[in-house]
Amino acid sequence: MNKLYLWGIIITAAMLGFTYYTIVLTKGGMNGDIVNMLALAGAVALVIITVFVVIKYVRQMQTDTASGELADETWDGIGEYKNELPMGWAVMFLALMVWAMWYYIIGYPVNAYSQIGEYNEDTAAHNAKFQEKYLSITGDKLVEMGESVFLADCKACHGIAADGIEGRAANLNKRLEAKTVKYVIENGSNNHLLGSEMPMPDRNGLFNTKTGALLTDAEIDAVASYVADGMSGAGANVFASTCASCHGEDGKGMEGVAPNIVEFTPTLVTNVLNHGKKGAIGGMPSFNGLNAKQKEAVGAYITSLSSTK
Amino acid sequence: MFHWLEKHPFFFAVGVFLVIAFAGLITVLPNFAQSSRPLIGAAPYSTLELAGRHLYIKNSCNACHSQLIRPFKSETDRYGHYSLSGEYAYDRPFLWGSKRTGPDLMRVGNYRTTDWHENHMKAPADVVPGSIMPAYTWMFTKLADIDTAYAEQVTVANIFSVPYNKPVPMRDGSTKIVKMGSSVEDANAMALAEAKVIAADMKDQDVKDAIAAGKIPEIVALIAYMNSLK
Repeated sequence: MNKLYLWGIIITAAMLGFTYYTIVLTKGGMNGDIVNMLALAGAVALVIITVFVVIKYVRQMQTDTASGELADETWDGIGEYKNELPMGWAVMFLALMVWAMWYYIIGYPVNAYSQIGEYNEDTAAHNAKFQEKYLSITGDKLVEMGESVFLADCKACHGIAADGIEGRAANLNKRLEAKTVKYVIENGSNNHLLGSEMPMPDRNGLFNTKTGALLTDAEIDAVASYVADGMSGAGANVFASTCASCHGEDGKGMEGVAPNIVEFTPTLVTNVLNHGKKGAIGGMPSFNGLNAKQKEAVGAYITSLSSTK
Repeated sequence: MFHWLEKHPFFFAVGVFLVIAFAGLITVLPNFAQSSRPLIGAAPYSTLELAGRHLYIKNSCNACHSQLIRPFKSETDRYGHYSLSGEYAYDRPFLWGSKRTGPDLMRVGNYRTTDWHENHMKAPADVVPGSIMPAYTWMFTKLADIDTAYAEQVTVANIFSVPYNKPVPMRDGSTKIVKMGSSVEDANAMALAEAKVIAADMKDQDVKDAIAAGKIPEIVALIAYMNSLK
């Protein structure tokens, strides 16, 4: 018998013996467990296959003689036979090329991850949910929504209580303060409060129809406190003869002519959010990041602040 | 030729390098050039804005405030459109920041105003309850360094061809020309003119006095920079 086979049998026996010793004879052992048995069967198969495959190739190296046609090219005297491509390898190579084409043209581009794509999907899903859930809400729910938008976007300037943080921004619990009214009369205003260009003239364009003259400082003070106090007090005459022609006798404004100066309306607030404004206290930027429903909700919330008081 | 290459490993290595480098160039460079090109709507900083930017860096505002809006719904709801690389074309260096102790400031000019910044920089907690941002009261009296800002303008205009005094396209199809002074005096005069517009919206008497005397307090430059972030 060839010496090689003998060594093969000895090594196989030794390894099987060692396996038997480590698994079956040690504490725990097979333990009647199917997984342990499978592992043992695997180990035995592995040992036998390994040994006999090694023997086969070692035998081949010992006995084989080179044959076939040599390629023209040699590398430092080392030559290469002209062999046919192995069929299995060639098929796999071609299949891989086809797969690569598919992956390059369809597989990757169609399924690739994109951060912006995920953002767009998120936003679309969110907007769809918003449409479905919130687009038709009214009343108290709308006011609640307005409050939450207010707390997210408006409180930085107007304060959590919407009081303008001690004069740093407009106090929204009240339609107008005397200071604001006075500023507007003296300087005019063009804040798109009606949604379009509709400037109010400054004091050089405001006549008191009763006296037939421009408003005096005293009249301005009087009418300012009259408006700020909710249309009550001493300035009633001045208001009636100067302001009422546009703002209405009750101060509630006229469509397309002058805004309501007695109370907030959702439309008024929406217009301020759309265009921003600049006045006695300072500037307010526009908030066009909010959608129409959110603006309406803020309008409802701000209207509710002064109407319940 | 391949036979020759196989016998000369050095030139073979050079060849391999050239092939890979070429592949890298044609795949990386066009994208890179495209995305680092100024976005339509991006304009260079004016002298005063640049002085404000220097103050932003000097006071380490970027340690607590980022300038990079990520493409998440929660962020774009709060700060506006997510950031695009072309928007940073005139930022040298960019001020992305890596930590948000305070809010992102990438587009703060869209939703805060001059008078808000004035109140806030004087006493942050009065405007934002619970804010841990310190007050920056000295900015109302110390003067902004316009000369250095002008020096940077001249440098970037010469070296990086930043388009000062040239029309840059805006999003609405119009063009905008950001002017750069022809001399230091000219630049100071232009910055003062810009500062006057901002100071008109401010209430602090020291600031108004300084502007009337032809000086520009730091706060005015910083607010100019904040307002330019859109």
